[in-house]
Amino acid sequence: MAKKIARDFTILFCFAVLCLSTSRTTMQFLFDIRDVDKWYGFFQGNHGDLASMSHLDYVHKFYDPKAYFLKRTSYKGPKNTVLFIHGDSNIWKISDSVFAGVCDYKFIGWSNPFKYKLDKAKRNVLIIEVGERLLREYYNTTEILDEFTDTSMLKKNAMIGPATWQGNKYSGSMVPWFNLDDLFNKNINQNIAGNLFSYKFMTPMFGYKAAINYYLFNRASGDVVISDDRQYLFYKQTIGPSYKGSSFSYLGPDEITHLITNFNTIYDYYKYSGFDQIYLSIVPNTVTILQPKGYNNLIPLIQHDPRLKIPVIDIYSVFKDSKKEYFQHGDTHWNIDGKQKWIDMVNDTLLESDKRERQAGNK
Amino acid sequence: MTFISLQFIVFFMVVTLLFFRLGNQKGRIWLLLIASCYFYMSFIQEYILILGGTIVIDYFAGIQIEKSEGSSRRFWLILSIIANIGTLAVFKYYNFFIGNIHTGLQFLGKPISLPLLKMALPLGLSFHTFQALSYTIEVYRRKQTAERNFVVYALYVMFYPQLVAGPIERPQNILPQLKVFRQYDWNNVKDGLARMLWGFFKKAVIADRLAMVVDRTFQHYPESSSVALAIGAVFYSFQIYCDFSGYSDIALGAAKVMNIQLMENFNQPYLSRGLSEFWTRWHISLSSWFRDYLYIPLGGNRHGETRRKLNILIVFLLSGLWHGANWTFIIWGLLHGLFVLLLTFSIKKGKESQTGFASLLQVLFNFMLVTLLWIFFRAENTGIAWDYIKTIFSFRGGSNYIAINSAEFIFSLAAIGTMLWREYYLPTHFIRNNKWFYIYVTFMVVACYYLGVFAENQFIYFQF
Repeated sequence: MAKKIARDFTILFCFAVLCLSTSRTTMQFLFDIRDVDKWYGFFQGNHGDLASMSHLDYVHKFYDPKAYFLKRTSYKGPKNTVLFIHGDSNIWKISDSVFAGVCDYKFIGWSNPFKYKLDKAKRNVLIIEVGERLLREYYNTTEILDEFTDTSMLKKNAMIGPATWQGNKYSGSMVPWFNLDDLFNKNINQNIAGNLFSYKFMTPMFGYKAAINYYLFNRASGDVVISDDRQYLFYKQTIGPSYKGSSFSYLGPDEITHLITNFNTIYDYYKYSGFDQIYLSIVPNTVTILQPKGYNNLIPLIQHDPRLKIPVIDIYSVFKDSKKEYFQHGDTHWNIDGKQKWIDMVNDTLLESDKRERQAGNK
Repeated sequence: MTFISLQFIVFFMVVTLLFFRLGNQKGRIWLLLIASCYFYMSFIQEYILILGGTIVIDYFAGIQIEKSEGSSRRFWLILSIIANIGTLAVFKYYNFFIGNIHTGLQFLGKPISLPLLKMALPLGLSFHTFQALSYTIEVYRRKQTAERNFVVYALYVMFYPQLVAGPIERPQNILPQLKVFRQYDWNNVKDGLARMLWGFFKKAVIADRLAMVVDRTFQHYPESSSVALAIGAVFYSFQIYCDFSGYSDIALGAAKVMNIQLMENFNQPYLSRGLSEFWTRWHISLSSWFRDYLYIPLGGNRHGETRRKLNILIVFLLSGLWHGANWTFIIWGLLHGLFVLLLTFSIKKGKESQTGFASLLQVLFNFMLVTLLWIFFRAENTGIAWDYIKTIFSFRGGSNYIAINSAEFIFSLAAIGTMLWREYYLPTHFIRNNKWFYIYVTFMVVACYYLGVFAENQFIYFQF
C-alpha cells in the first residue's frame, strides 16, 4: 500500500513539475512569488549573472568593486524631449534624472510590445538599443518586418501603434494563459532545474562542482567560459562559433545587407509614425572588446555601412579605444562606468540634435 | 528532449510509473504512443506529420501486402519503399544532390540555379525509415504477419527509447513484446536503471568531455601540432563510441525497465581484430539491416568472388550515405569497404584463434585504422579530412593546446580506461543485492553530476 501511494505521489509530483516548468505563465508567476531572500527563493549570486550561472561565486573570484550610482545630469536648460528607449537588460533600472533635457522617459523592454503615444508638442526621440548577442536573432528575421511594412496597420492605429519586434506569443491565443508552444517550451530544462534545485540551501552542491571544475580542470561549468587572462567570465553563446550571438560566428555579406535593410525599414516606419529622431545603439559583447582576435566585425560592418539610414550612437568605438574597464568581471553586462559612458553619449546626442533643431526653428 | 536532460528524467519517471500503474495492455500502448509523440515533438513539432504520414502508408501497405498475391503484392511493397525512401531522399539528400549538380554544371561552364530546401532534417529520419522498411519487407517475405492494430504498429515505429537513434528494430522482436501484458519485475528495473546510469556516465562524463578536445582540434587543425591532432583523432574514436553506445545503453535500459528487450547495438567494437569483425560489433542493428535487406538480396557471396566484392562495396557506400548527405560520409563508407576487402586476409580462418601479442597487435592496428577513417566522418569536408590526416603524419610542431588542462587530460584517459575495463570484465549489470544496488545508484548519480560536462551537446547520431 505504501509503495502504491509513493508511486502515485511521484507520478503526480513529476507531472506537476513538467507542467509548471513548461508553461511560461506559471514560470513567471513562480518567479514573481519566490522571494530571493527566503529559502525558497531562486538562487541568485551577488557577483553577476555569469558567476551565478556557473556558481563561481563559490570560488570567490570574478568579483567587481562595489558599484556607485549613476550621475544625475547637470544640465539646467529647457526640458523638451520625450525619450523612448526600446532596449534590453543593459538599460534596466535607469532613472530619468540622468538624461539631459528629457521631460519624460519611457523604457520598454524587449519582452514587451512597444506601445507608444507621441506628444506632438514635444520632441520625440526613440533609441533602439540592442546587445550584440541578440542583434542577429532579433533583426535577421523577415517576420519582424511584416508590421513595419504594413502601412494600413499604421493608419488604423494612428499614432498608437502596437509595434513590436517580436510577436506577443499570447496575443492570438484562444485561452489567454495557454499556448501550444508552451507544451514544448525550449527553456524547460532550465525551468525544471530552477523549480527543483535552485534554492539557497542547495547552492553548496553546485558550488562544489564549480570548485572542482575551477581548481582541478581550470574551467567554468556549463555555458560560461573564463577569459584568457582569467579575469573575466564570458557567456558561451558569445564565443562559440556555432552560436548566432557569437562574436566569432560566420557573417556573410548577404546577412549584413539583410540587417541593413531591416534597420532601414524600421527607421522609415518610425519616421513615418512621427518620431523626430531615431537612433540605433549596439552594445558590444564583453568578448568583442576584451578578447577580439578573430572578431567577425558585426558592429563596425553595420555602423559603417553607407546604406544605413538610421544614425548610430557608437559605444563600440569608444569601448574599443579606451583603456578603462567597462564590463563586469562575472556578468554579461557592462559595469557602471560603461553604463555612464553610454548615458553621456546619449546626452551629448540629445543636446546636439536639440540644438540643431532649435537653430532650424523646429519645436 | 535529449536523454541527458532533466526533462527526460522527469518524463521517463512519469511514463514508466504510469506504465506500471495501468492495469491493461491497451492503456499501456496508448500511453507509450502519446509519450512517444510528445518526445518526438519536443524536438520539432511539425515533423510528426511526416512521420505520421509514412506510418499510415506503411500500416496499410503491410495489410495489403499480406492480403494480395503476385504483382499487386509487389506493388504495395514498392509503394512503401518509395514513400519511405522518397521522404528520406527529399529531406536528407535533395540539397546534396542539387548542390552537386550546381557544382558540376558550374565546372562545365553552364551554371544554373535550382531551388534548395530550407528545412531542418527531421530527427532520426534514417532510423525510423529503416525500421519501417524492415516491417514491410518482412511482411512481404512472409516472415511477419501484418499488424492490424494501428496503435501497436505506430508504436513499433515510434517507441520513444529507440525512435531517434535506434537500435533499428525488427518487427519480430518488438511487435510481440508490445502485445503482451508484462508484470512489474524489480530485477528488470534494476538492470534497466543500472544500464541507463552507465549510458549517462559514458555520455556526460566521457563523450562530452572528449568533445571539448575534438572540437578544438578540428576547428584549429591548421595551427595545431601533429601530437594535438593525433590526440583529437583518438579522442574522437572514444567520443563517438561513448556518445552512441551511451545513447543505446540509455535506450535499452529505459525499455528494459518496462520489461521490453531491445536488440544490442554494440559489442566492444574497439576490441575487433579486423574491420569485418568491427562491423559485427559496431552499430549492429544497422549492419545487420544492410546484410539482411541489401547484401543478401544483391546476391551476397553466392555469385562468385567479384560479385561478392562489388556487393560489399555497394553496402559500405550506401552505409556511408545513410549517415549523411556529404562526401565525407560517402568516402568514409567506401574506405571501410575497400579496407574490408584488402585486409580480409588478416582474419582468415585459422588465425582467428590467435591469442596474446599477435592479437593485441591486430586490435591496435584495427583501432588505428578505424580512428583514421573516423576523421572523414568528423571533418566538415574531405579537404579538411585529408589535411588533418596529412598533418598527423607530418610530425610537425605547432600549438599543443587541446582545450583541457593536463589534469583533465589524465582524467579523460582514466575515464576511457575505466570504461574499457568495465565493459570487458563486467559487460552486464552484476549487482543483485538491493543495498549494494542503492549504493551503486547513488555513486553513479554523484559521479555523473560532479564529473559530467553537460555542455548541451546533442547525441552525434541524432543528426542521422
